This record gives sequence, C-alpha cells and structure tokens, in this order.
Amino acid sequence: MEILTAYGTILITLAIIFGLYMTWGIGANDLANAMGTSVGAGAITIKQAICIAIIFEFLGAVLAGGQVTSTIRKGIIDPTGIAGNPEILVYGMLASLLAAAFWLMIASTKGWPVSTTHSIIGALIGFAVVGIGPDAVKWEKVSSVVASWVVSPAIGGAISFLLVMSTRKLILDTDNPLKNAKRYAPLYIFLVGFIISLVTLFKGLSHLNIELSAGQSFTCAIFVGFLTSAIGWFFVRNIQENPSENREFHYASVEKVFSPMMLFTACAMAFAHGSNDVANGIGPLAAVVSIVSSGGEVMQTSALPLWILILGGGGIVLGLITLGYKVMLTVGKRITELTPSRGFCAELAAATTVVLASKTGLPVSTTHILVGSVLGVGLARGIGALDLRVVGNIIVSWLITLPAGAIMAMFFFFTLKGIFG
Amino acid sequence: MPIRTTSPLSRLLRKSPFKPIQEHMRVTFNCICTLPQLFEALFEQEREKVLEYSEQIRQLETDADSIKNTFRLNMPNTLLLPVDRKDLLSLMADQDRLTDICEEIGKIFTYRDMEVPQELKPFLDELLEGTIEVSGEARKMIEELDELVEVGFVGGRELEKVSNIISGVRKSEHNIDTIIKRTREALFAIEAELKPVDVMFWYKIIGLVGNISDQTENIADRLSLFLSK
Repeated sequence: MEILTAYGTILITLAIIFGLYMTWGIGANDLANAMGTSVGAGAITIKQAICIAIIFEFLGAVLAGGQVTSTIRKGIIDPTGIAGNPEILVYGMLASLLAAAFWLMIASTKGWPVSTTHSIIGALIGFAVVGIGPDAVKWEKVSSVVASWVVSPAIGGAISFLLVMSTRKLILDTDNPLKNAKRYAPLYIFLVGFIISLVTLFKGLSHLNIELSAGQSFTCAIFVGFLTSAIGWFFVRNIQENPSENREFHYASVEKVFSPMMLFTACAMAFAHGSNDVANGIGPLAAVVSIVSSGGEVMQTSALPLWILILGGGGIVLGLITLGYKVMLTVGKRITELTPSRGFCAELAAATTVVLASKTGLPVSTTHILVGSVLGVGLARGIGALDLRVVGNIIVSWLITLPAGAIMAMFFFFTLKGIFG
Repeated sequence: MPIRTTSPLSRLLRKSPFKPIQEHMRVTFNCICTLPQLFEALFEQEREKVLEYSEQIRQLETDADSIKNTFRLNMPNTLLLPVDRKDLLSLMADQDRLTDICEEIGKIFTYRDMEVPQELKPFLDELLEGTIEVSGEARKMIEELDELVEVGFVGGRELEKVSNIISGVRKSEHNIDTIIKRTREALFAIEAELKPVDVMFWYKIIGLVGNISDQTENIADRLSLFLSK
C-alpha cells in the first residue's frame, strides 16, 4: 500500500509513457495494414488516408474501444490472490506494456509480421504466471480469445466471399455492369455506415452515458447508413463510360465506381482498428490508473476514464503522422493487385468482423482478419494469385509472439519489482 | 530507422499470373506476324531482308522466353489461384511453343538460301493469312483473361463471349487444315521439277506453319478447361 501512495504519480506517469509508446507503435506500424489496401487500390491518397485515420481512429477508440480495453485491463488476469499487494499488479501491467511495445519494435525492425494483440496477451499471461501464479490466469477467457484469433479471420473470409459473390451477381455479370454498379453503389455504401454504426451503437454506449434501446439503435444506424449512402451517391453519380479505357479492360469504368466506395471502407477500417487495437496500449494503462487512484483496489470496479481512450487515440495518430504514413505508403505500393471492387469487399468484411469483436470485448488482430477477408475473395476466384505461405507465417508468428511477449514481461516485471521494492 | 514493412498483406497478394500470360501472347503474336514479311522477302529473293526478319523473330522469341521464365519463377505451388496452377503453366508452355516454331522456320531460311517455286506462292500466302487470323483470335481470347478474373471464371455473359472466340479458333484451325492439304498437293504436283532436298524442306516448312495453328487450338482447349464448371 505504502508503495502506491509513495510512488503513485511516478507509476502513473510511467504507465502513460509506456502506453503512449505502445499506441505510437501501433499507429506507426499496425495501422498501415488496415489502411494500406485503400491506398494501394488508388482509392485514396496518402494525405486523405492520414485525415481519415486521424478522425476515425479517434472515433473508434472513444466510441467502441471500451470493451476490449476492459478485457485487457481485467479480463485476462484474476488478481484476487494479490489483493493485499496491489503494487504487484501495477508492476505487472507496466511490465506487460513495456514487453509488448519492446517486442513489437524488435519485430518490426527485423521485418517479422507480428500482431500487437498477440504481444500484449502473451505479455499479460507471462506476468501473471510468474508474478501471481498460473491460477491467476483466467484460462477460459484466454482460450476464448485464442479461439477468436482463429475464428475471426474465417468470419471475415466468409463475409467477403459472400460480398464478392453478390457484386458478381448484381453488377459484374450483367448486361450493363456500369449502370448496375451505379445503381447498387449507394446500397453497398449504406451497408458500410449501417453495419458499423449498428454494431457500435447496439445497446448503447455506457461509458459515454448514452443509453439506447434496440429500436433506437436501429433507427440511428439506418440514419447513419442513409447519410453515408447519400455522400457516396454524390461521388459515383457522374462516372461515365470511358471507351478508351474499356477497350483495354471492359470493367475499367465499373472499377471506377468502386473506387470512391473504398473511401468509406477506409473510414470503417480506421474506425474498427481504433475500436480494437487502441485497447492493447491503453488497457494496462487504465488498470494502473484505476489501481493507483483507488488506493490499491485490484478488482478495478471504477469506470474507464474517457481521457485514457482519448490518449490512446492520440498516441495512434501521433505514430501515424511521425512514421506510419511512410509505412502505409510502402504497404500501399505493394498491394496494388487488389482492385477496388475486391478491396471494397475485403475491407467491409474485415471492418465488420473487427467491430463485432470489439463490441464483444475480444482483442483480435485487424491485420489477420484482413488477410482472412482477402483469402475469402480468393476463394471466390476473384484474385489473380494469393500466396498461402502467409497463413503459415502467421501461425508461426503466433507461436513465437506469445512466449516472446511472456518472457519479456517476466523480465521487466522482476526489474520493476527490484527497482520499486 | 529503415522502413520495413511487416505487412502479411503485401506477401499475400502476388502479382497476377494472367498479366504475364497476356504479355507473352502479345509478343508471340508479333512474332507470328513477322512470318509473312519473312516469306515475302524470300519470294523477292532479298537475302538481306530474310536475315533481318529471321533475326527479328529470334529476338522476339528471346523476349517471350524471358517473360516465360519470370512467370515460372513466380509460380510457387503455395499459390491460391482462380484456376488450376498446372493448367496455367501448360498454357504458358503452349504459347511458348508458338514462338519456338516461328524461330525454327526463321532458322531454316538463314542457313538455307531457298527459292520459292512460283506454283507454291499463292498457297503459302493463303496459309500464312489463315495462320495470322487464327493466332489473332487466340490473342483475343487471351486478352479476355483479365475480364474472366473479374467475373471469377463464372457467369454467363463473359463465358459465352470467350466460348464464342474459342469455337472461332477451332473453326479457323479446321479451315487451315484444308489449306495445308491443298498446299501439299500443289507441292506434290511440282515435286519432280524441284531439287529433292528443296522438296524435303518445303514439306517441313509447310508442316511447321501448320503446327502454329495446331498449337493455337491447343491453347483454346486449355482455356476452355478454365471455363468448365
């Protein structure tokens, strides 16, 4: 107890620094995957991507980032065993943050494809096992999180498969694809606004004190859907046949309709990323703040302060504007093979899956879900070539990241414990 | 700090294999289109030009070869493709055979200064014209590949369009078979007046030109495999 009162401010400051470091890293590296598809397809410029990311990462974090933050903060570790020594949990959270951020930095300089989510979960487990004991890990919760890492890309893939099939049926395989593209574009854009806002608003936003009934959520979502659809219609209404481009590739004009549609899915991706990945950085921070400010209450019954969500969103934006935009440009240049019609389907599927997971409080990997969604497009025979080796790489990166995060967290935990006593 | 992308997405999305196939076909078509000029130079007995066109064909064959090799290097067996990988590799091999045939014809004319018998000329012209036509159709068919990817190799309209081109290729090939038969008959009729070795080579050349259309039909057959459900 005395440690918390003596070093409370230092510990919170450390947590803020580590949290910012972690969210900075997420913004610098991870966000590029979420937005790179739209950049690569030529739907948005890098400047537009930055503007979209700033607005929607923030919105995602603040509006829908609460549940996952709560899982990271108190869902993985059961601290009842150390109720008398709350400082242990504070060290643990600090160590986990530092371990995950550190591991991400090593991995990204080496060019390994690791996930921020997996790093922080691995770190939390690592700390809990040595700091409290193996029983302190809520293994059933951990297993549901791990299961979601397998299930979520599959769901993303299934949704994008269906979306690709629908675009084929409604637009591509018809007598006048361009006319149908312009007719159905507002509907697809409606779906983007509707689904994302429905999932976000469903049953209200308790941390912002907004209570909504199911009916009210539906009404709001329909309103948002119509709003996005109207904006979208404005973009696509004037697209005309371009005979010279169509001679080369008959679907050139049709793809032009999908291009502005990817603007909306880019917003959705940024929102989804903010809602899920910001928690990896601020979950442990929220835990430290809650324990210290409550004077050592390990069960963390206090609500999540809004400033922490804002801080997390800010950290991601900072990472993006300092370094992330360069990474985004590099990623965008490499994934030009995804045409707007495919990119739209993959992004909408991925954003939907991520936001669903966020609402359920499951920390998932946005990148892996996007990979799953692109594979869904591939299974619908929609892409020239996909290299399945990536799937193996992802599995290997899990198997390495979980223990690596854990071991580093153990190391940092004992270091912090040694420093503060 | 060096910018290293850790993005699994950039590794997942490979370059489309259909683009190099189309590019290869364009080069191949150019190669075949050089044949009539080569024969024309031969008719005119312009040795310089014969060598020049043979060289041009050889150069195009080399270009096509390098496209083929890059294509093969980018086809690991871990790829998820909209069509069977083996079929794609065979399609490329079939196309490559076309440039090989052209090169072989060109080579014969470089080491053997041949004279064209007047009686054979109209038949050869007709044969070459037919060959250009059928390979033009094959090129048109290959140009449809990116549209086929867009609709995922299913769906009525695009498939019907490609099927029509395929049956066009088959029809032209059949037509060329009859031209070849007539050309051989014409050669047989004047056989006795020519030098025996010349005759042997002319039969060989007629056969080689005929192989081009046979091979084109193989390409059409290969493509129709992609469309089968």
